[in-house]
Amino acid sequence: MTIIQSIKSFMIRLASMPLAIVILSVLALASVIGTVLLQNQSETDYLTQFGPVWYWVFQSLGLFDMYHSWWFLGLLGFLMLSLTLCLWRNVPRMLKEMRAKKVTMADHAWARLPHQDAFVIQSEDLDGSVEKLKKLLPAWSWRTQQDMPGGMVSMRGDKGAYHKAGYILVHSALLVILVGGWMSVQLGFRGNMSVPEGEVGNEITFLKDTDVQRKTMPFSVRCNSFNLEFFSTGAPKEFRSNLTIIDDGKEVLTSDIIVNEPLYYKGVRIYQASFGDGGSSLGLKLFRLDGSQVVDHAAVNVYQTYTDPKTGVSLEIQDFKAYNVQNMANPGEPKKFRDLGPAVDFVLRGPGLKPVKVRSFMNPFMQDDQNQGMFMMISLTGDNKDFEPLFIGPDFSNAKEWALFHAFNRYAQEEAGEKEAYLKAFKRALNEIYGEDRPADMQDMGLRMLQTTQMLADFPWPFIPVLDDYDQVFYTGLQLAEDPGMDVVWLGSAILVGGLCIMLYVSHRRMWVELSLRDGGISVRVAGMANRNPLAFTQAFNQDLMLLKESFAHQTQEKV
Amino acid sequence: MNATTINSNNLSWSARLHEGSVAWLRLITYFGMALGAAALAIWGMDAYSENGYLPQLLSLHGATWVIGGGIAGMLFGALTRQKQAQYARVVTGLVPWCDGIIMMVALMAVYTLFEPEAALINYEDQSNFFSGRVVMAMNVLFMFSGICYIAYLFAPERFIARMATMSAWAATYAGGSALLLRWYESYLIMGGDIGHAPVSNLYEVFILLFCIISAMYLAFERRYNAHGMGAFVMVLVAAGVFFSLWLDSIGQADIKPLVPALQSYWMKIHVPLNFVGYGAFAVACAAGMAWLTRARIEKTNPQSRMLNTFPTLDQIDQLAYKAVAVGFPAFTLATILGAAWAAEAWGGYWSWDPKETWALIVWLFYGAYLHVRISHGWNGRTLAWWAVVGFFVTLFCFVGVNMYLSGLHSYGRLV
Repeated sequence: MTIIQSIKSFMIRLASMPLAIVILSVLALASVIGTVLLQNQSETDYLTQFGPVWYWVFQSLGLFDMYHSWWFLGLLGFLMLSLTLCLWRNVPRMLKEMRAKKVTMADHAWARLPHQDAFVIQSEDLDGSVEKLKKLLPAWSWRTQQDMPGGMVSMRGDKGAYHKAGYILVHSALLVILVGGWMSVQLGFRGNMSVPEGEVGNEITFLKDTDVQRKTMPFSVRCNSFNLEFFSTGAPKEFRSNLTIIDDGKEVLTSDIIVNEPLYYKGVRIYQASFGDGGSSLGLKLFRLDGSQVVDHAAVNVYQTYTDPKTGVSLEIQDFKAYNVQNMANPGEPKKFRDLGPAVDFVLRGPGLKPVKVRSFMNPFMQDDQNQGMFMMISLTGDNKDFEPLFIGPDFSNAKEWALFHAFNRYAQEEAGEKEAYLKAFKRALNEIYGEDRPADMQDMGLRMLQTTQMLADFPWPFIPVLDDYDQVFYTGLQLAEDPGMDVVWLGSAILVGGLCIMLYVSHRRMWVELSLRDGGISVRVAGMANRNPLAFTQAFNQDLMLLKESFAHQTQEKV
Repeated sequence: MNATTINSNNLSWSARLHEGSVAWLRLITYFGMALGAAALAIWGMDAYSENGYLPQLLSLHGATWVIGGGIAGMLFGALTRQKQAQYARVVTGLVPWCDGIIMMVALMAVYTLFEPEAALINYEDQSNFFSGRVVMAMNVLFMFSGICYIAYLFAPERFIARMATMSAWAATYAGGSALLLRWYESYLIMGGDIGHAPVSNLYEVFILLFCIISAMYLAFERRYNAHGMGAFVMVLVAAGVFFSLWLDSIGQADIKPLVPALQSYWMKIHVPLNFVGYGAFAVACAAGMAWLTRARIEKTNPQSRMLNTFPTLDQIDQLAYKAVAVGFPAFTLATILGAAWAAEAWGGYWSWDPKETWALIVWLFYGAYLHVRISHGWNGRTLAWWAVVGFFVTLFCFVGVNMYLSGLHSYGRLV
């Protein structure tokens, strides 16, 4: 007996409001943690950020995937339990209150009502007056009780009596949403799939905690093409993939998807999530600097490594982009966007060389229509953030400049040690290559030749690798998700909004009327109350009352 | 609305326009036009494209949809004329808002006459757009209004209060019409390639927020005759004005192309609705501050003349609750519609992204407010503080998340 009682009191406590507020507050506070601590990062990131001790502490508390940790789900479960008990405790009472509309009221209760009035109808037709009153105020739902002592008739009118349903709807809606969310987590999935153009994929990967998990889909997706569109500012305008669904070996469906317009197949939504290089085939020119004046050609695909057979220098190709839009303005000036053209990213390694990450552009750098020679960007750390511009100097793709460069180097060696050796070497080289027909930007060219000498001092590469041609292939980054709980969540959401509106805006208005025969007339007393917005109710009540008085006064005049 | 409205024969023409069956007819016509515009987005185009919508809306094709919707609405309104008495309160409440929007559109149409000629418009330097000047006028008006409201507290002259109210109205119209003008201007640059609704960055939504806060407050002011509260509301708005001036100074005020994730009609629904919520919470916060101030004055100096400028504590309390009661469902709906958009763009309706999580925190905070208020009948000081603190939580959700946390909503991020 005592056990049952204590269980009961425990359950009542669980259903109580203070507890609900405590749960809401704890949930809110706990949620903050996950917004401050980046979720679902890689293990190494966390280890470097926090060190092993804190990593272990956070990991064991599940803070790296907080919203799916046992304690957070436990909190949500607790909220569900509290909601259920709250409903279980209050719904029967509320329904009873909604249904029970006591028509009569004791005198002391009358006295407490905020709005009251009384008037007399000069008539003895009690039933007729009741009917007339009902017709005059049709918006109220009326109940009457006639077998009262002294021939009195009691009436009660209700407006918005369903407002208590608002509470019930809101709280059950939250339960429905939580159940929907639980279904999403238990029965649904969400993962990524990268499919290069022309290829087929059917496996998605997703993160669980900090581990990568895989799942094979019951159908395959082929990426027929991927297209990128840009605004003239260089900002991306549209990512579009043309996909074909292959189910059971048959092509069932071909469609375009863009961001915001996913494809739907067999309960699975396929989203455009990202894109990247799908292994473009590239051709690089290797301009040998060993004096041989040889230009070799290297064919390689993105994500592969090319090793030069002559020198052992390797190029690990990491990325390729056909457009590289950059803001060319100095800080503080109005923005000036320009497309620098195709570029390849690779890491250059070799015997005796410091490994560096290079972004090599296909086109020479043009400034005010002046050719500034070949252009690269170098990152010593290997991080894309640290790219610094590197001007090679001459434009080797121009045969004359390539020859001039070699002549200049040859003469520079001959003149080494002399006064103004570089100037003399450059003049001799110019004579040899251009003869009398000197180029207009001669001075500039001299500076650019010197630039190479400087650059080679920092990066003693045996050749300069420059992007020559490409055949671009993208991969499209798809996200595949199945969510059987989603519709449940939408249902719950609709109920929630509807319930909130009822709860907050519908006011339950009640009006009581008592009619009794007295001194050859009918004495009427009216009272009313509302559970919210007393100001508006006062107005409405007075209006209704005035309508009654005027209408019944008219009747009086007829009689008199 | 008072008792005389029963007899519709002795109404002035303006009252007749705003009440009764004329108002009903007008409201339903406006609804029809809005539905027509929405239907154009859904069925009138091959596929919805952000930079195609406004030109389509302004073309003959779009006008057919909107006017068609309006006529259908008018017919429906005429047929259901009898219903108006039942919804009189809703109708008289909503019609002025619709009129206000129409007036903003008209103002915007006038502004277009002052735009620089096509040759002078360029993407890199947008300072010659007329909207910049209108926004500046709005800034000045809001600050002037704030000063007047504060002055009114110390010198409760009817004249000062009227100036404050008038300048707040003028600022609201300036802000709303400037936003609409920005929408139009976004089509003038780059051949209309980047045209989009003016709710895409922090600067634009700040202007929207000012207008919503101010309009909502002015509606309450008219109803409760609560001029004294204006000082608190306008101080919040003026602080926001300084923030938006700073945003402008760091180049955040430029019209920029939309990232693909934002190119959706959802943006036009999700963002403004969210700001109805934020704006309402701001008004609730101002009411909370007013409550605390009045309570303090009553305690320290009960004879103060300043007390006459304030509504009573109970009225302020009611007003704060009303603001939350408007804001909470709007915020709930906005969050749900945001989830619907996320389900369409990101692959899931809820990703525990910082913005989403903070929206949940705000929701839980005001959810708890309503609990203690409705079920426990709390009021007064605790809830005044609750409303004030709640707005700071909201503020973090709206600005702080963009500044300090990264996530899927990072397009609202500052540099």
